[in-house]
Amino acid sequence: MIKLIFLLIVFYVNIYGQSIKDAVDKSIFNCYGKDVNYISDKIILEKKLKREIEIKSEQNFFSDEIYFYKIYSNNQIIGYSILDNVYGKSMPITFIVMFDINGIILCSEIIKYREQYGGAVKNENWLIQFKGKNCESDFKVGKDVNTISGATISVNSVTKGIKKLTFLIKELISK
Amino acid sequence: MKSLTAIFLFTILISKSLAQDIDFNTSKVSIGGYGELHYNSEKVGSQPTKSSLDFHRFVLFLGYNWTEKWSLKTEIELEHNFVRNGQGEVELEQAYINYHYADWFGFNIGVILPSIGLINEYHEPPLFFGTERPVYHNLIIPTTWFGNGASVYSNINGFDIKLTIFESLNSDKFSFSQGIRPGRMKGYFPDASRFLYSARLDYLNIPGMKIGGSISFNNAKGDSTNVNLIISEFHSKYNANNITAVFEIGNISYDSGILRQSFGYYFDFGYDINSFFNLKTKIQPFIRYSDINTATKTSSGGLNEKLFHFKEIMFGISVKPIDEIVFKLDYSERTRQSDNRKSKFINFGAGFMF
Repeated sequence: MIKLIFLLIVFYVNIYGQSIKDAVDKSIFNCYGKDVNYISDKIILEKKLKREIEIKSEQNFFSDEIYFYKIYSNNQIIGYSILDNVYGKSMPITFIVMFDINGIILCSEIIKYREQYGGAVKNENWLIQFKGKNCESDFKVGKDVNTISGATISVNSVTKGIKKLTFLIKELISK
Repeated sequence: MKSLTAIFLFTILISKSLAQDIDFNTSKVSIGGYGELHYNSEKVGSQPTKSSLDFHRFVLFLGYNWTEKWSLKTEIELEHNFVRNGQGEVELEQAYINYHYADWFGFNIGVILPSIGLINEYHEPPLFFGTERPVYHNLIIPTTWFGNGASVYSNINGFDIKLTIFESLNSDKFSFSQGIRPGRMKGYFPDASRFLYSARLDYLNIPGMKIGGSISFNNAKGDSTNVNLIISEFHSKYNANNITAVFEIGNISYDSGILRQSFGYYFDFGYDINSFFNLKTKIQPFIRYSDINTATKTSSGGLNEKLFHFKEIMFGISVKPIDEIVFKLDYSERTRQSDNRKSKFINFGAGFMF
């Protein structure tokens, strides 16, 4: 009986604990194909660089840390991804942006949305608008990026968040 | 057995550390709000022009999330800047516990906003055209409609569903000129022997589009009346490619009492012209057409059914230097259908949200 309870707890904790990781895996495989593998790293952002990017993107980073993924196919790097958060109205929105080796967006996905309003930013049709953009692209909501009725805060927040990562990926690639 | 248990414990520890490592949520207070200053000038028929300067609303939002799933949302509103002898209002417009299990299931309980129409839940000034909220959202859907209740919601494949159980209306207060609006209890000791039941469905998977409707039932009661009513409404909003277009239509049917039907609709069309000039500021001229009758059908019939019927055309402009700040200017002409009496309105406003 005790063993069974332990098993249930392990099962629950695993499901709960890895839900973000599972969602990241799914997004990466969806974007780059099933045959890729990746190396992930938690990166602490250097203060000066962080501030520069915050000014350019008009949004502060959620924290000093982001998750960085190098994507490999047949032992060759084929792209990079960054997992980060932005604030919605009051809760973090966890999202991933997947780039090619030149820092051009291939795909972006909302990994976890935690609020009752504004969840429409998860919509694939909305997220596909970012495909092909890079740090030199325009990200103006209403013009370059469609808004979503009832999700104004999330739309602005996620758009700036994605724009911010295009600046960051440029720096990470050049290092 | 012991080693097996140790392995399990170890797995739990590893899993927990993984969970903590990649769980971004932290308890946090969040503050937001909105406000709007209005200049209103109106000339009704041949009466002299009246004008006023009104800081119509100041609202503070305070939220707290205890965990990723449990949070609190509150909104306190001060209307008309000052409260004295029944003028001006302080309102607890929202105060609810939110449990958000996942996108497919969550619930709210406390002081909530019923999910009826486009603006009741999303009423910050930069989000709608016109200095004042559309007259449809005053007389057909009585925005801001808040009160005590609970709701469950679900978002599956672009379908947004919400079921609400909400405090009842007071049918004694219904009127020809304002429909159900005066019957709102605003959370102040509503009759708990009956409730308003509401279901709303929206579809969000078309880029830039929100389309949906709601239906609500209430056996409203007062000291001297008891009315079954059904509120049905359809709403749609398109917001893409510099275009903002809105259409809403609503009907209230009553089975007894002085009112038997209230009906109205409006549409907006606006275009952001900043793309022509490559400006950062959004400049959105718009046009609105409304047709409203709070007393479409009455028990007495006759003149009452025409006296409260009006059509209104509005031209205006919204200027947004940033998405959270808006300056608005609009002119509208309202024609009463019973006698073609014309009322003219000029409004100017400044609004913000944060």
